[in-house]
Amino acid sequence: MAKFEAGMEAMADMYVFETTSLLDELDQILMKTENESGFGEEEINEIFRTMHTIKGSSAMMGLENMSKLAHAIEDMFYIIRENNPVISSPEALYDLIFAASDLMKAEIELISGDDYEPTDFSEVMQKIEEFVAVLKGETAAPSAPAETQPQAQTQEASSDSNNSGLTKVQVFFEEDCKMENLRASLVINRITEACSELNYFPSDIETNSATAKTIVDKGFEINFCPGKGKTIDDILGIISSTSNVNRYDLIHRGSAEAASSAADSNMATVKVHFDDDCKMENLRASLVVTNIKDVCYDITYEPADIEENSESAKVIVEDGFIVHFDADKTAAVIQAIENTPCVKFYEFVENAAPASQTAPAPTGETAVKSEAAAPSAPAAKPAAAPKTPASKAPAKPTAEQPANTAAAKAGGGKQSLISVNLNKLDTLLDLVGEIVITEAMVTSNPDLNGLKLDNFQKSARQLRKLNEELQDAVMSIRMVPLSGAFNKMTRIVRDMKVKLNKDVDLVFEGEETEVDKSIIDQLNDPLMHMVRNSMDHGIEENVEDRIAAGKSPKGKITLSASNASGEVIIVVADDGQGINPEKVLAKAERNGMLTRPANEYSEKEILNMIMLPGFSTNEEVTEYSGRGVGMDVVRKNIEKIGGSVSVESKFGEGTSFIIKIPLTLSIVEGMEISVGDSIFSIPINSIRESFKVKPDQIVKDTNGREMIMIRGECFPLIRLYELYDLDPKTNDIFEGIVLTVESDGKCACLLADKLIGEHQVVVKPFSPLLSNYNIKQQGMSGCSILGDGSITIILDVNNIITDF
Amino acid sequence: MAENDVISATGTVNAVDHADVTEMLSFEISDAIYAIEIKYIKEIIGVDQITIVPKIPDYIKGVINLRGKVVPVISVRRRFDMDEIPYDSRTCIIVLEFEDGEQVGIIVDRVQEVVDVKPGDISKTPDSKNINANRYIKSIIHLDNDIRLLIDCNKLINDDRGMII
Repeated sequence: MAKFEAGMEAMADMYVFETTSLLDELDQILMKTENESGFGEEEINEIFRTMHTIKGSSAMMGLENMSKLAHAIEDMFYIIRENNPVISSPEALYDLIFAASDLMKAEIELISGDDYEPTDFSEVMQKIEEFVAVLKGETAAPSAPAETQPQAQTQEASSDSNNSGLTKVQVFFEEDCKMENLRASLVINRITEACSELNYFPSDIETNSATAKTIVDKGFEINFCPGKGKTIDDILGIISSTSNVNRYDLIHRGSAEAASSAADSNMATVKVHFDDDCKMENLRASLVVTNIKDVCYDITYEPADIEENSESAKVIVEDGFIVHFDADKTAAVIQAIENTPCVKFYEFVENAAPASQTAPAPTGETAVKSEAAAPSAPAAKPAAAPKTPASKAPAKPTAEQPANTAAAKAGGGKQSLISVNLNKLDTLLDLVGEIVITEAMVTSNPDLNGLKLDNFQKSARQLRKLNEELQDAVMSIRMVPLSGAFNKMTRIVRDMKVKLNKDVDLVFEGEETEVDKSIIDQLNDPLMHMVRNSMDHGIEENVEDRIAAGKSPKGKITLSASNASGEVIIVVADDGQGINPEKVLAKAERNGMLTRPANEYSEKEILNMIMLPGFSTNEEVTEYSGRGVGMDVVRKNIEKIGGSVSVESKFGEGTSFIIKIPLTLSIVEGMEISVGDSIFSIPINSIRESFKVKPDQIVKDTNGREMIMIRGECFPLIRLYELYDLDPKTNDIFEGIVLTVESDGKCACLLADKLIGEHQVVVKPFSPLLSNYNIKQQGMSGCSILGDGSITIILDVNNIITDF
Repeated sequence: MAENDVISATGTVNAVDHADVTEMLSFEISDAIYAIEIKYIKEIIGVDQITIVPKIPDYIKGVINLRGKVVPVISVRRRFDMDEIPYDSRTCIIVLEFEDGEQVGIIVDRVQEVVDVKPGDISKTPDSKNINANRYIKSIIHLDNDIRLLIDCNKLINDDRGMII
């Protein structure tokens, strides 16, 4: 991590995560709108908010360049939103924003690194400014400082006059929390959505770092009017929950709240008077509040500072104690007021106007003695209904979902999603793996041999069932749809389309298929390489060639994903020119990479040569066959996560890269067999049966290869000790055990020394040192640790059969 | 046990406060003394059960279970084209950990001690036309009249990488 101010490091992780996802979101919106050719109002708002959040959080992290760039984009969209100008060159706009988004992404990468130097964004900033000038019709010469200055003055004026219906709050931050101005802007960011009117002083917090001192000395002054559906207390809640806010002083409670909330949920207002000379009216009032809160939580009252300020007692004696509450609960609230000691009488207030010191209190004429019958709820409703002069109605839709989630992410408000560090999930998965192994250790403990333990077995079965459920739950937590990885490709295709001047459609299939998160992370690079390859070399250079070959002039790249027997199969297919196997072979021969005579290679082997390390560096191959750039990197990355890549291509018709990856770092049900001193596990779903061979079942073909006849069908016999050069306990086929295994419709018989038993095993991939020797191709897919601590090698039946 | 040997050996290290001093672990194979930079070493264990993995070069002896992690082990003797000797109580597996987190165990005859090596103690390997003679040796360390050969861990593990079809 780059160096941040003390106390900021912890937030840096969060910042990187959040900004990355915001930028991804931005890209997606842009791609969507570009395809639909036009910004909807919603999209503009979304981009606007995304940028606003990035601006705020970047500023807080002290990343001035990021914050300024985000600000510039925000400004640009502000103009687009407000002025709705005719955008003459949408392409230029998209290119500009994409460029900016790329810069920001690159910057985020840098920040994650060790030595971070802020990048200079001035070039793109310049372009944005120019674009903005064009949008404005070149009349307005933007000079930011000049604009903010007068604003600040009007702000001062308005906050001094204190005449509006706005609520005035003075916010103080924790001592020494640093950069108070930016923290203040965070507060503003968070409450903006919930307020219909908002101004604050100092107003130039985002641009002028000197304001930090003002805020420390005098507090940060916010004047606001809650938006639709929000109460003053909601806003205050947001303010106080913002990080580093120490306290806030409510200077003046505005009237607007009553109006705006009355529109939404009926608020009733009651003025309570206490017995003459009962003393300490403020504390009695607080007792009233406590009682009311038992029945109706959503209340406000005036004066608000009854508990701290004993002077308020005097106000209460003179003007009464005013309580606003939900009219629906009038009966209960009245009951609560009546039950409070020393309450002399109460009255309903017709007008929910501000009852500040200056406002004349309604006279006692309308008072209803508490001795009188309690007024019914309907009576209270009209009391609240008359509206005070309405404050400016909120012009824009207040809460839109995406922005809300973004805000919630930042604030950790109530939501049903949490983001968890992947390392923690890894630990959890490892633990589950250990539990599975330990369970096997306990339930098949040698000490239990020969004992009859009915109850133990019953409990063991239950434990196993629970463990399986636990596994499923942990796995499902880690599962992420592939659509995220696929969507990133849209962007690559878009950029390359422009650069290569090829018209290509990118089609997704089955992008909702889910894979383990750690696998997804490893998939991005390989996918990118393959899509690039398809774009660059797969799709024909000239449209004429495509038409001549009878294809649609528009190229097509298909990204598809599907589930098949515990594996996820991802195919990157193009309908381009395909690979010419002869050229690949010729190239391999020239490079001295062939170990056999050239004519002995099958087409499949030849195609897969393009993924050999030696191939990628040679530019000539790229030119000829069109493949090979970075393909060995693709293979390496995929193998690292326990998968495999293969190529299928028809010359002239197109190429497909087929990636097979395990669904997850999985736990498989395996049958353990022993061959000599080695123990192997065969996934149970590929075993058909196991049996002892009878002499009349053995058949030999003309080459002397053994086959076994089972119910009229012949299957090849594979002696595992021969396959793996092991020293068996017996090489007598009649002593050993034969397993019929099946994969992809093909069957074979494996000869092992003996069966040990069935166990769940946690698949651990081979270390890179071993996978380097292509042992996957030899039929070993991974290894696992057994209950007694010994290691078993998991066999991949498919590869054994294909290679035999 | 082998592990105890190591603990007593590390106990004798003198604290040298030079910043450019490198700590190295020396070990014996046959009659020669070799050294490995301590930053690669995760731990040293005795030889226990090694599970054979088929179809791999013979210098990789197999895999071991290191507290739930499957770690491949290689025989340094085989890697240096020497004859193997039976494992005894002094045979050790030094578990190396590389920057990318990959762990590999190497089997050595006997672990000696941790020594502090100053840059002045290190000299280059002599040029040789026969590449195989010192392909795994990074440099030569002269220390207290002893000569130690500093092993290039990355080469020891990675040399063959990317060469197999």
